[in-house]
Amino acid sequence: MAASASRIAARRVANGVFVFFCCLFTALALLALAAILWSLLRQGLGGLDLAVFTKSTPAPGSSGGLANAIVGSIMLGLLAMAIALLIGVMAGTWLAEYAGASRYGSVVRFLNDVLLSAPSILIGLFVYELLVEPFGGFSGFAGAVALALIAAPVITRTTEDVLRIQPTTLRESAVALGTPFWSVIRQVLWRSATGGILTGALLAFARISGETAPLLFTALNNQFFSLDMSKPMANLPVVIFQFALSAYDDWRRLAWAGALIVAASVLAVTIIARVLSREQKRS
Amino acid sequence: MNDRGAGAFDTSLTAIEPDKVKLDVQNLDFFYGPNQALKNVTIPFADKAVTALIGPSGCGKSTLLRALNRMYALYPGQRATGRIMFDGEDILRAGVNLPMLRARIGMVFQKPTPFPMSIHDNVAFGVRLYENLSKADMAARVEEALRRAALWEEVKDQLASSGLGLSGGQQQRLCVARCIAVRPEVLLLDEPTSALDPISSARLEETVTQLKADYTIVIVTHNLGQAARLSNFTGFMYLGELVEFGETAAMFTKPATQRASDYITGRFG
Amino acid sequence: MSSAAIPAPGVHPPGRTSPRGAAFDRLFEGLCFAAATALLASLGGVLISLAIGGWPAFAKFGFGFLTTSTWDPVQQVYGAAGPIVGTLITAAVALLIALPIAGGVAFFLVELCPSILRRPIGTAVELLAGIPSIVYGMWGLFVFAPFFSRSVELPLMDAAPAGSIWEKIVGGIPNGTGILSASIILAIMILPFIAATLRELLMSVPAQVRESAYGLGATMREVVMSVTLPYVRRGATGAVMLGLGRALGETMAVTFIIGNSHAFPKGIFDSGSTIASTIANEFTEATSPLHTASLIALGLVLFLITFTVLALARLMLRNQARL
Repeated sequence: MAASASRIAARRVANGVFVFFCCLFTALALLALAAILWSLLRQGLGGLDLAVFTKSTPAPGSSGGLANAIVGSIMLGLLAMAIALLIGVMAGTWLAEYAGASRYGSVVRFLNDVLLSAPSILIGLFVYELLVEPFGGFSGFAGAVALALIAAPVITRTTEDVLRIQPTTLRESAVALGTPFWSVIRQVLWRSATGGILTGALLAFARISGETAPLLFTALNNQFFSLDMSKPMANLPVVIFQFALSAYDDWRRLAWAGALIVAASVLAVTIIARVLSREQKRS
Repeated sequence: MNDRGAGAFDTSLTAIEPDKVKLDVQNLDFFYGPNQALKNVTIPFADKAVTALIGPSGCGKSTLLRALNRMYALYPGQRATGRIMFDGEDILRAGVNLPMLRARIGMVFQKPTPFPMSIHDNVAFGVRLYENLSKADMAARVEEALRRAALWEEVKDQLASSGLGLSGGQQQRLCVARCIAVRPEVLLLDEPTSALDPISSARLEETVTQLKADYTIVIVTHNLGQAARLSNFTGFMYLGELVEFGETAAMFTKPATQRASDYITGRFG
Repeated sequence: MSSAAIPAPGVHPPGRTSPRGAAFDRLFEGLCFAAATALLASLGGVLISLAIGGWPAFAKFGFGFLTTSTWDPVQQVYGAAGPIVGTLITAAVALLIALPIAGGVAFFLVELCPSILRRPIGTAVELLAGIPSIVYGMWGLFVFAPFFSRSVELPLMDAAPAGSIWEKIVGGIPNGTGILSASIILAIMILPFIAATLRELLMSVPAQVRESAYGLGATMREVVMSVTLPYVRRGATGAVMLGLGRALGETMAVTFIIGNSHAFPKGIFDSGSTIASTIANEFTEATSPLHTASLIALGLVLFLITFTVLALARLMLRNQARL
């Protein structure tokens, strides 16, 4: 009995140590989050004022704002999402409704998942070779395509997943009325899956809003306010990158303000997406 | 009483006049991949009458139902051989216009499946596929279908609200309305009340009784009382074969086969 | 009888021989197929464009491109060994740090956490995952680096006896940047993703399995390490490899803080570079076509490494789902 009592004690100790480290590590992770958010707020709010939203990026040493970068990021994001939704929803629909158990379908699905996690800087290089070099210049359009290539696999995945969980009888009752299959998809299945597809789109948008690397060689940056997508386009992430690594205080302050704006938007969109998906799960 | 263990039941023994047969299934075999689910089934479905298909789980009654509107065509690996004559045409042969076939043979499923749109649009959905009705005509058609399905009084003030907001029984009647708005000739009902409470079931049964005056109805049901109440003819199936077929009253009081007798008296199933 | 009433059946719908829209069925299927193929093609396109763009570098330097570490734009000599080693080291160290922490968080959330705290802490972990990498980069450089330099690097460097092996190990410039700092920031970046995936996997273990383990008198540590974790072994490996793939390809979080030197780092606080940081820093200012080609060749190397890791990861996750 004494032997087993000491064994039990040893197991208890081991468990206690384990539990301690689990709690410690969780605390560490939360601490890291708190530290990052704290710095963001402190430094970012300090640099945030109305001018940030109304004036364009300044030359070194002068004052200005981030208006052109904000507008540019919004435009790039919207165009990218439009392209990504078009390709992603159709591809996800193909995988869920037409591909069946085919070999080709498995290959597409597999490679889509690989593309999903591929380093975004390589996507930037690809779009550079495709749309920048041949045409001799950086453009907002190329930047949007690069972002679309990053968002599309996410939307494909979520669209396929949400279409797969639609009840078979829903599909069949539309077919039983003699509905052509594409109308079954368009008028019944997509409608039923709208919530899920929207959530996927929001998550994809959050993902591309924070991407810098692919824009470095495609949209580049633009010091002035411009709505022309065929030329380099100002955007927040690249501006932050440039300003943060510079030696000028003004620029650094703007970089923090920009980082706060980007982080806040990404977090807001993510939270909205999670709330939406919880609402759908309930209904 | 004879025991028909093997071989198809000779349905010519039943007195249905040939011109009253709307759907005539002849020597139907059905396969899910390599597994044979229906074996040499021959059964007539009479016009303006209700035929019930009964039998224990897995006997093939739903499979038979789904062959009638070729629903199985959605799934590769499922196939049927034999003939199903519908107004002189074999609907199993290749080249049949499936959407038009399904406009004439409608189906209501076990689980109510309202489309994610308004009640009005649900009912109008099928009609819009085939006809160009004016707004007023469509509204009248929707009303007529909902009346026939015994749902009009309950939803007439909320036609614009979503079909998903109705109760289970109402949703099922909405599906019936959606079906009959297209003016089919045959209605296939796959255990339509199994997901409903008793009161909704009773209302749906009333609806079926009223519809029988104008349609050929085939109903698959687990509920023997329902089969006895609603149907004119009953087919009893077991392990993919049609074991017995006849007029309902006769079959329930004096079944011709031992197996059917055992099932009806509750000895198994 | 108006067309609206339901006439006796047998009157076929007038006019049409097929329902509205039937003609577009094939077209729609074709479009969907085209979209799916476009995705496939873009992955292939990435590979091909990297291979074509990087070809001049491989042609000029051959296999030596991968093994030499001289990176001299002036002399037009490019060797990728420095960035490659930097990529592999930072990713490996990041994984080493992140794994136990992610595991701890996942186990905490599944087994220890009181239920009212579960949602907020889980959300907090997901928020950490959502922070854009450039924010990590900035925080790393401006907040973490000074702190790290003050509290870790300087004390360690002071404490190392002169001339010993320790001095070499903690060698470098104590300004808070370097490969260890970069690894730490990377670790913080990938840990929420691994933690969230691990947590989902652990929650997918059927309740009866967990309960029967506890019912035998096992402690929490024993249940987790000997029962539930092995149950999701494949999926967990897949999740870890996905995290690794992320760490290998991460650009912004690393570029700020790795110091950007092409030579091999000689101490843990020494500067280094990764493939991604090199490309990010030099691409737009490349001095010659050979420079550009070398950078693209670097990209190809990164693509091959991450593709292998990601493909293996997805295979593992797929096998887990099938179990």
